[in-house]
Amino acid sequence: MLTLNKVYFTAPGGEDGNGALRNIIDGIDFTFEKGKFYVITGPNGSGKTTLAKLIMGINPISSGSISFEGKDISGLSITERAKSGIAYSFQQPARFKGITFRDLLSIVTGVEDEKKFLEIVSRVGICPMSFLDKEIDATLSGGEIKKIELATTIAANPKLAIYDEPDTGIDLWTIGPMVHLLKKELTPQTATIVVSHNKAFLDVADVVLIIDKGKIAFNGQLKEALPLLTDLSICAYHHKCEGEQDAGCLR
Amino acid sequence: MLDALDKKLLKTVADLEGLPKGAYNIRKNGKLLQRQVSANIDIETNAEGTGIIVKIKPGTKNESVHIPVILSQAGLFDVVYNSFIIGDGAEVTIVAGCGIHCGSSETEGHAGIHDFHVGKKAKVTYVEKHFAMGEGKGRRILNPTTKIWMDEGAAAEMELTQISGVDEADRLNEATLGPGSLLLITERVLTEGEQTAVSKNNIILQGVNSRANMISRSVMKGHSKQIFHANMEARNKCFGHIECDAIIMDNGTNETMPALKALHPDAELTHEASIGKIANDQLTKLMSLGLTYDQAVNRIIQGFLK
Repeated sequence: MLTLNKVYFTAPGGEDGNGALRNIIDGIDFTFEKGKFYVITGPNGSGKTTLAKLIMGINPISSGSISFEGKDISGLSITERAKSGIAYSFQQPARFKGITFRDLLSIVTGVEDEKKFLEIVSRVGICPMSFLDKEIDATLSGGEIKKIELATTIAANPKLAIYDEPDTGIDLWTIGPMVHLLKKELTPQTATIVVSHNKAFLDVADVVLIIDKGKIAFNGQLKEALPLLTDLSICAYHHKCEGEQDAGCLR
Repeated sequence: MLDALDKKLLKTVADLEGLPKGAYNIRKNGKLLQRQVSANIDIETNAEGTGIIVKIKPGTKNESVHIPVILSQAGLFDVVYNSFIIGDGAEVTIVAGCGIHCGSSETEGHAGIHDFHVGKKAKVTYVEKHFAMGEGKGRRILNPTTKIWMDEGAAAEMELTQISGVDEADRLNEATLGPGSLLLITERVLTEGEQTAVSKNNIILQGVNSRANMISRSVMKGHSKQIFHANMEARNKCFGHIECDAIIMDNGTNETMPALKALHPDAELTHEASIGKIANDQLTKLMSLGLTYDQAVNRIIQGFLK
């Protein structure tokens, strides 16, 4: 369904972006197949989100190619990729002024049909109906905006759905239903990629991909991945750690 | 009577398809075109003949009054002084607005000087839209002034919008709030080309427990320029907030100056201001939902000015 062919993403290193060029994604070859649930994991800064963004076209690849359903999409814009059936759920969703959840649903479905919106909200399950007229602004909590982000992705009925850390900010009681929901949305004709560290997602993955230093360090079943996961669980930011003042550590 | 052009202007500034229900006063090219009063709302020309006095009886509920102004006469600069006296406990919506059609190279303009006296526990919603159109090269100028005095427990919500086509705007809003009164002003201004818009706001929180919230949303396209001043002065235990956001597109410029003055130890005043381009993450998000770059920009601006 989606094939990455010697995909590189190169950017200046160093904290100020003025350092020497380095490969954030370092020559990845991989094919994502229909009907499978993929979970991408790996240490902080290993390139997981960058890889997901390359697929959606949010960042351009530096070299290599990406093909989707047999067609080279490397040169396509975000809009064109969305229209060809790829949907992306952001780790930190954008906040707007004057745009509601209903507006996003109407953009993604192309209709303004109350019945259809209610159907989507009940299908997604994790957003109450009262969310429909909520503005996607700074007043939403981190959990609320993530639920809305997930719902708009599902509403697109994508062939390939990419979720970047969908569980961030989500309460403990919603993670189970969320995993169940994403599994339920997968059909033999679609594929799902979830970027996550959460065991709940890893447990249900058909294929676990471990990314480390911009390369695929492992792909296969979770039980075979466990030794490597344990190995990599050492904090990648430890050299920056300043004890309780630690600002570099995100987890 | 109303011609096709009048109807288009009225539709845009007052959302009217023909004549409104209830009380109204339509002014065209500096003269009264049509007026209707209701049992609770009286409209009369002021003593000087320079405008109207609108009186809302105390206790009036759920009524509205439309007072649109339309201009299509070349070279006319229409100045009007309107007063609104809203009786105690009344609840009313006032829809004002000015539509200019400029068909020549001569300047056309309107200055609506409005003062409001909002009685005790009265509630007023004031909606004002400004819009100009026409193939003429003449400048279209709108200089509105709104002054409002609020009695104890009064509430006023003011929506001030400048949609498009206005070359020069110089606005002044002034408010004095009595005890327990509540004022919410939302101003939305879109400028393009070489247009300029200046908005000056002076809000005095006079009474104990008075509250004011001033929201300004500005979009500058082309080489247009907007200047926004908001001064909030607290003279009692009160709460006041100013929120001003400006989006710069193309080569527009913006100056925003929120100012807070607390003259009482229990005053609580806050402000937030931002100027910048459309955030990249917003564009990326909407494009990932299938909109093109231009559609995404339009959708974001439309929401921002909603």
